[in-house]
Amino acid sequence: MQQAATGQPTHCPYCALQCAMTVTASGTHDGGARVDGRDFPTNRGGLCRKGWSAAELLRHPDRLTAPLLRDADGVLREAAWDTVLDLISDRVLSIQAGHGRDAVAVFGGGGLTNEKAYTLGKFARLALRTSRIDYNGRFCMSSAAAAGNRAFGLDRGLPFPLEDLGGASVVLLLGSNAADTMPPFVQHLGGAQAAGGLVVVDPRRSATARLTDQGRGIHLQPTPGTDLVLLLGLAHVVVAEGLTDNRFLEARTSGYDGVARGLAQWWPERVQGITGVPAASLRAVARLLAAGARRGSDGSQGAYILTGRGIEQHADGTDTTTAAINLALLLGLPGTAHSGYGTLTGQGNGQGGREHGQKADQLPGYRKITDPAARAHVAAVWGVPEDLIPGPGLPAVELLASLGRPGGTRCLFVHGANVAVSAPDAATVIEGLRSLDLLVVSDFFLSETAALADVVLPVLQWAEEDGTVTNLEGRILRRRRAVEPPPGARSELWVMQELACRLDAPSRFSEDPSTMFDELARASAGGIADYSGLDYGVLDSGAPAYWPYPAGSTGTPRLFVDAFAHADGRAVLVPVVPRTAAAAARRPGPLLLATGRLLEHYQSGTQTRRVPALLAAQPVPRLQLHPSTAQDLGIAQGERVVVTSPHGEARALADLTPDIRQDTVFLAFHFADAGSANLLTGGSTDPVSGMPEFKTTPVRVARLVPLDDGVRTDGLEVVA
Amino acid sequence: MRPPESSVACRVVVVGFGPVAARLVEHLEPLVAAGLVSLTVIGQEADAAYNRVLVADVAVGRTPEAAIRLADADTLRSSGIDVRLGACVARIDRPFRRVLLTGGEAVDYDRLVLATGSRPVRPRLKGLEGPETSPLPPGVSFLRDLRDARAVAAALAAQQRIVVLGGGILGIEAALAAAEEGGRITLLHHGRSPMERLLGDGARVLATALRHAGINVVAGTSTGIDLEDGRFAGVGLEGGTRIDGGALVLACGVRPRTELAEGSDLAVADGILVDHSLRAVGTEDIWAIGDCAEVCCLRLSCEACAGVTAPQGLIGPGWQQADDLGEAFAAELSGDARGPSDGSGGGPGAGAAGRRDAVVVLKARGVDAVVAGETDADPWTVEPGLAVAEWADPGHGRYARMVTRDGVLTGLVCVGMPRTGAELVLLFERGSELPADRSSLLRLDSAEGLPAASPPGPAATLCRCAGVTRGSVQESVAAGCASVQDVSTATRAGTGCGGCHDDIRTVIERHFAAAVAS
Repeated sequence: MQQAATGQPTHCPYCALQCAMTVTASGTHDGGARVDGRDFPTNRGGLCRKGWSAAELLRHPDRLTAPLLRDADGVLREAAWDTVLDLISDRVLSIQAGHGRDAVAVFGGGGLTNEKAYTLGKFARLALRTSRIDYNGRFCMSSAAAAGNRAFGLDRGLPFPLEDLGGASVVLLLGSNAADTMPPFVQHLGGAQAAGGLVVVDPRRSATARLTDQGRGIHLQPTPGTDLVLLLGLAHVVVAEGLTDNRFLEARTSGYDGVARGLAQWWPERVQGITGVPAASLRAVARLLAAGARRGSDGSQGAYILTGRGIEQHADGTDTTTAAINLALLLGLPGTAHSGYGTLTGQGNGQGGREHGQKADQLPGYRKITDPAARAHVAAVWGVPEDLIPGPGLPAVELLASLGRPGGTRCLFVHGANVAVSAPDAATVIEGLRSLDLLVVSDFFLSETAALADVVLPVLQWAEEDGTVTNLEGRILRRRRAVEPPPGARSELWVMQELACRLDAPSRFSEDPSTMFDELARASAGGIADYSGLDYGVLDSGAPAYWPYPAGSTGTPRLFVDAFAHADGRAVLVPVVPRTAAAAARRPGPLLLATGRLLEHYQSGTQTRRVPALLAAQPVPRLQLHPSTAQDLGIAQGERVVVTSPHGEARALADLTPDIRQDTVFLAFHFADAGSANLLTGGSTDPVSGMPEFKTTPVRVARLVPLDDGVRTDGLEVVA
Repeated sequence: MRPPESSVACRVVVVGFGPVAARLVEHLEPLVAAGLVSLTVIGQEADAAYNRVLVADVAVGRTPEAAIRLADADTLRSSGIDVRLGACVARIDRPFRRVLLTGGEAVDYDRLVLATGSRPVRPRLKGLEGPETSPLPPGVSFLRDLRDARAVAAALAAQQRIVVLGGGILGIEAALAAAEEGGRITLLHHGRSPMERLLGDGARVLATALRHAGINVVAGTSTGIDLEDGRFAGVGLEGGTRIDGGALVLACGVRPRTELAEGSDLAVADGILVDHSLRAVGTEDIWAIGDCAEVCCLRLSCEACAGVTAPQGLIGPGWQQADDLGEAFAAELSGDARGPSDGSGGGPGAGAAGRRDAVVVLKARGVDAVVAGETDADPWTVEPGLAVAEWADPGHGRYARMVTRDGVLTGLVCVGMPRTGAELVLLFERGSELPADRSSLLRLDSAEGLPAASPPGPAATLCRCAGVTRGSVQESVAAGCASVQDVSTATRAGTGCGGCHDDIRTVIERHFAAAVAS
């Protein structure tokens, strides 16, 4: 891919792979632009069709270019910035006067730049003076983050550069369909495929699972909700067959004895009856991993274990991820030169978004908001008394459940999220959003959430502003302004600056990304995610910048090389036992629904459903189910079906495929209205991480019988 | 019934320290930590609980002893639990609520749980006469505990031919484990094939697999053992033949260890009789779980006990009982629930656990066999709701049988089809309905994998990442693109994961080959 001479080097607006691209303004001042792939270690010049078409959204006819205010008739009409900003600050103050500061809440997103995520956390605590802030990463990375912190004392998605994977002979991918969700990533699996060592665990024979075909690896297809048991079974084999790395366990870990005793009861033949994965396959995979681990410790092609949302987005997601980490530790993979463990972060800035203070319990630098030292440090940077910073708030699911409830949230700010589509139990969330006294949504399109707002603030797209994101490797990247924003749209930093001023907030709120980044760097100094050695000058030099990057250092491409981040330098093996999910999976009757993503769409689809080629490729929600399951239900290919769960019902077109287990159905969550997968999810959350259950919802599926009176019942034609 | 224990810790004594007792102890640990329970565990073996299911793996040397430990005595002691190993209870002094150890010591209890497990059956053969507990002759052993494992390991190390007596699951597993690790093994069994009663025709497929695994499978009825120089030397069969060997492993089943209960006037049939809340029949303060217990509350009309069978020597139901009892104790003793259940309902769901049909999965490396539930129904029987599907391919070592009632899987046999077997057990445990197309389950083990991608017409997608059709790539090549890079620049095909580069090259080569040919 040739780089256009006049283009700006930047990164893709979508997933956490953050493919490098060049954006070249069309030169006609219409805001249009061209995207080209750019050579970079992560994407090696490649882009998927989402990235290729990203510039089509810059001047999309749906683009919001003026604030919208709901008028007395309930219609959203354009209004002046001053009008809406004054109105918001007046309403916030009156709501807080009547109901307390925590009646105002903020919901952020893992797609916001570091500067915006940081400023949003500061805005919530200092301008709104509320403890109630959380973000959609709770639905994404929270389980992996909790498990990583528990085991290693630190959570960076990949604690090594992505290129390291290329040298591996064995890669175990648990619950990730990277071939669809971040296609250029697949380039790094070539080494493992060539060695026959790619192992994919997925109830679906996904595009990623197919990468194991023809002797390139092994696909394990467990029933949903049994990943934890599967991992206990693999770890059992490793211990029982003496495949553990004892020197590593002795020198670098604690907790082995307790974990090993718990594993004695998970022999493969027992595990096979729970997971549906044959004992022989479990043994084969355990031995494959051990062989890779041995090669790795001998100084060559090692083994990597990578987790994705498929095993994390469960009510036992933290424990399941812990089981994956335990397996990696038993084999001696983490913190070594040729092997490792990591989690594949999902959203564009899913890594940076979870580090700088938009989590309910967190301050910048991945600090705990309950830690007095952390509070003192951040208060000093902000120039405020420590007790001005509120305590911990509510995690996302609880926060959204409190909308409009007595003592709950009455005013909500939403940034970089579309909770009406992406949150579990979407119908209840939508009801909650409708019951608010004030809903303020910042977006560049009228998303399903924005459509419910009292005030919609038109903000900038990725190519219209400067900023930084932290990719799945923990590498901080510069996004650059390449095109002029449309007149009328403003950056979220400017919005927060204006509102903070109207709310008489202390400290500084600047619309300049570089200024806010410098402050973020200072606030993060000494924290876990330390950015204090970075500024735009360093980043613009092109030098790789992996955190922790304390002042005076050159960053940390590989973590844990000498020690893990706990005080004693050891990684901790935490015993875990299966609880709810496995029990649910053992009940008779309904099918199990897993939600997930398609290659053509991103998250709630607000962006990708507006790109004609992407919408044409995947225009409507389609429910994947096995042909023999469909036969028993009297459902034919392409027929309309209704899916029912304890939380609601959704509609889709039947997509028959032998690639899915007979007991499992799959529905992508990119669609809104009647086809929204999250109308079906909800209920339990992980006790540690607050992660909702997204992947094991019991459902019933039936053919949709149209009503005789001609009323359209499917709602599928209008999803865009 | 006593009032709920409140001010003083309830003294719980567990007799036996096998896997089931260990599971109960896990449930009681938090109560000990909370000061609600003072716990004593009395185990007869010198070792704390370990997973007996894996003893054969230890015997053949492929699993270290440490890897099958389920509990650690010192860890438990440091949490305040009184663990006594190598200790034997002689008698239960029920009036004074205490157990008397063989050394004369007494341990008081408020609640007593018997988890004494089972012991291997000592077959009545010439040369093995004597009481069940008397020592076996040199060269003869069971394969039940770690001591047995060490004996078998020694025989293997000495490269002796090992005769396994018993064609049940334990015998087959022991024989396979030893054969897979290079041992010379003879498996001696009754009837036509090992496991014939459970597997039906599947047993013949299994027997073939055992022979392929290098096991000398012999059908016959043994009459006695021969000793030479006081050591085992062979087994005599009816008809006069003799199977020679250097070691004999007895795998003739297990039976509940009930003598302590019997000597203490508890009701015993095959096992210690307990009601469906696991309380020993006729007692207030004694429970029994695991292999030693037999659920039957002696009320003719008790639905919870209907259909309960004698203990089966399987670990799954025992662990379920330990979970049920542990949860019931926790609820009662932490005072946040009903008082001790009176056996007339409520209480642990032990009855259900005991009633669950056994799932037997052969533990072996190269041979797959699973069986569960009712397996003897005839495919041609006409009975409302009953359907039996069967697939037999003895020539390729495959056999499957699925028994359903009203569509729900109630019995299965599966040999030589690992994924099908795993899936059927999963469906059986869930009580799932099978798909009407039963053959779709057999295809889980088919080599076909999936039908090849649709024939590569011009409308088929060639590059998924960029969403480019084969036709578009062909057009770009026709328009002059001569390399993958050219095609990528023109169409974006191949610009994502790069997995389609070979396909693009093929399109280019075909185009130019055709051009040359014409």
